[in-house]
Amino acid sequence: MNTLLKMLALILFGTQACAAEVPLEKIDVAHEMPVVERGADALMTACHSCHSLKYVRYRDLLHFGMDRQKVDGWRGDQPLDAPLLAQMSENDAAQAFGKAPPDLSLMTKARDGGPSYVYSYLIGYYQTPEGMPGNHVYPETKMPDPLGIIGVTDAAQVKEIKGKAQDIVSFLAWAADPHEGERIRMGYYVIAYLAVLTILLYFTKQRVWARLD
Amino acid sequence: MPGRIIKWIDQRFPLTSFIKHELTGYPTPRNLSYWWNFGFLAGFVLVLQVATGIFLAMHYKADVAVSFDSIQHIMRDVNYGWLLRYMHAVGASAFFFVIFVHMARTLYYGSFRAPRELLWWTGQALLLLLMATAFMGYLLPWGQMSFWGATVITNLFRATPFIGDQVVVWLRGDYMVGDATLTRFFALHYLFPFLIIGAVVIHLVALHTVKSSNPSGIDLAHKDNIPFHPYFTAKDFYGLGWFLIAYSVFVFFMPDSLIEPANNIPANPMQTPNHIVPEWYFLPFYAILRSVPSMVGGVVAMGLGVMMFAFMPLLDRSHIPGGAHNRPIYKIQIYLFLLDMLVLGFVGYVPPTGETLLIGQIATLCYFGSFFTHPFISRWEEQWLIRRGLSAELLALMEQHAQEEEQRRKQRHQHKWGRA
Repeated sequence: MNTLLKMLALILFGTQACAAEVPLEKIDVAHEMPVVERGADALMTACHSCHSLKYVRYRDLLHFGMDRQKVDGWRGDQPLDAPLLAQMSENDAAQAFGKAPPDLSLMTKARDGGPSYVYSYLIGYYQTPEGMPGNHVYPETKMPDPLGIIGVTDAAQVKEIKGKAQDIVSFLAWAADPHEGERIRMGYYVIAYLAVLTILLYFTKQRVWARLD
Repeated sequence: MPGRIIKWIDQRFPLTSFIKHELTGYPTPRNLSYWWNFGFLAGFVLVLQVATGIFLAMHYKADVAVSFDSIQHIMRDVNYGWLLRYMHAVGASAFFFVIFVHMARTLYYGSFRAPRELLWWTGQALLLLLMATAFMGYLLPWGQMSFWGATVITNLFRATPFIGDQVVVWLRGDYMVGDATLTRFFALHYLFPFLIIGAVVIHLVALHTVKSSNPSGIDLAHKDNIPFHPYFTAKDFYGLGWFLIAYSVFVFFMPDSLIEPANNIPANPMQTPNHIVPEWYFLPFYAILRSVPSMVGGVVAMGLGVMMFAFMPLLDRSHIPGGAHNRPIYKIQIYLFLLDMLVLGFVGYVPPTGETLLIGQIATLCYFGSFFTHPFISRWEEQWLIRRGLSAELLALMEQHAQEEEQRRKQRHQHKWGRA
């Protein structure tokens, strides 16, 4: 028993040792169309020149219900079925930053912490004592502060930038899992159906087994 | 008319007698609890995996250049492709969960004991096939964890004496995990489930020869058996309802909880992920692998770790019939073993540090210790229980077993020496 307790203590101690990374700011992703559309707008300005979302097509944005004029504005003369490729070519970007900026289609699924990670990263920029930009969440980042949060002290402005980051993350979460809404809606029906089925199966079983007595 | 058709068939094929023998007349112990549902559930998940897998294969492309893209194509463009893929991915975890419960039940109630050794060993073969299938399937999305998991595990075959390096190249089809590996894993991932179906048939033939064990651990009198159909079909389907509810919660509301985030990044042979973890169902065995300082030792320990279950019928020296129900010490052993599995799983999940390594080593020792000490503990427990006094029912049963054994021995003796 003593060894057991010791092992338990070690386990608890062990988990604390693992959680020593920078704490992420937890956020809830919005699923409403207007927020996601706002996020898409902000992303087109702040991210899309370097980052692609190659698994998303302009037509997908229309299907989700975004404004036709906005989508037309973003795509320019590209066809509706074109993927959201970056404005800058991968080679140019690699030359400018040292490595190609990652595709964002699955970004909110590709990091531990998901949307909270991306949000904390976007607002995690600060000025180092040497006057260089740094990032709390991902110190090795090559990306310059995209939303311009460094040096902003005005509370209202910080709030606005954080809101923008949240919108962008909401859009990215939609882009990573465009069928999520449909999936969850269907899930309620499936569970409800199965609940009724299970109740009926229970009574069937009771009835069949009653023959034994 | 249907009667005539069935008669026509029965003259040429034993349809009615087969159904009677395996279903409507198959004797099943009346007292089976819901723990006995998991064999049926395993069969159900197998069918589910084959069905979703075949449809996924129609849209999936096994080619390092487009595999990752084809998964996204399934997730985004194929009609209900996301549903197929999430059902298949969650199904893999469900399969292992159901099999682990099925195995734990067998151990707890001593269902592996004579005369069910072959049934248990065919089950062990099924576990190995399932593990191989799951491992190869995990490479197919060609994400970071797919690639590095396959790299680490195929690399273990370097421990093969003399020809280790050649074996690794032979398995991968290349010097590193690449296109050749992906295409062969896809081919085998499609093949193995059909081998599993074949092995399940053998498992069922063995089961229908020795019949189901039951919670009392005692072979029941004839009157306590009831036909499988309709009683256990009804009970199994009711259990299936609960299973499907739990499964659907994962499929529809938290499908990504079982997919490592790093597997949403395409495989990159130039960049190792911060820490490589296998799927949850391999974690205890992975922890055993990492607990042994030498690679060869680790591989042997891991392989042995999976295979230890097969030795249980030989390691159990007690003559007390049944399982934990009749054996208090054995019950404690089972619970401690399950706890040890959880500790190993945790150790396999966290990045290795000094402490977790130590816990892992202690837990590995406990893991093997619980098997190797079992012959002595079970024998001692038997003596202790007899001294303490057994119920008349158990004593009578043991007496009967001993007599049967004596008779068999005499027969063998006569057969060998009688005619001389």
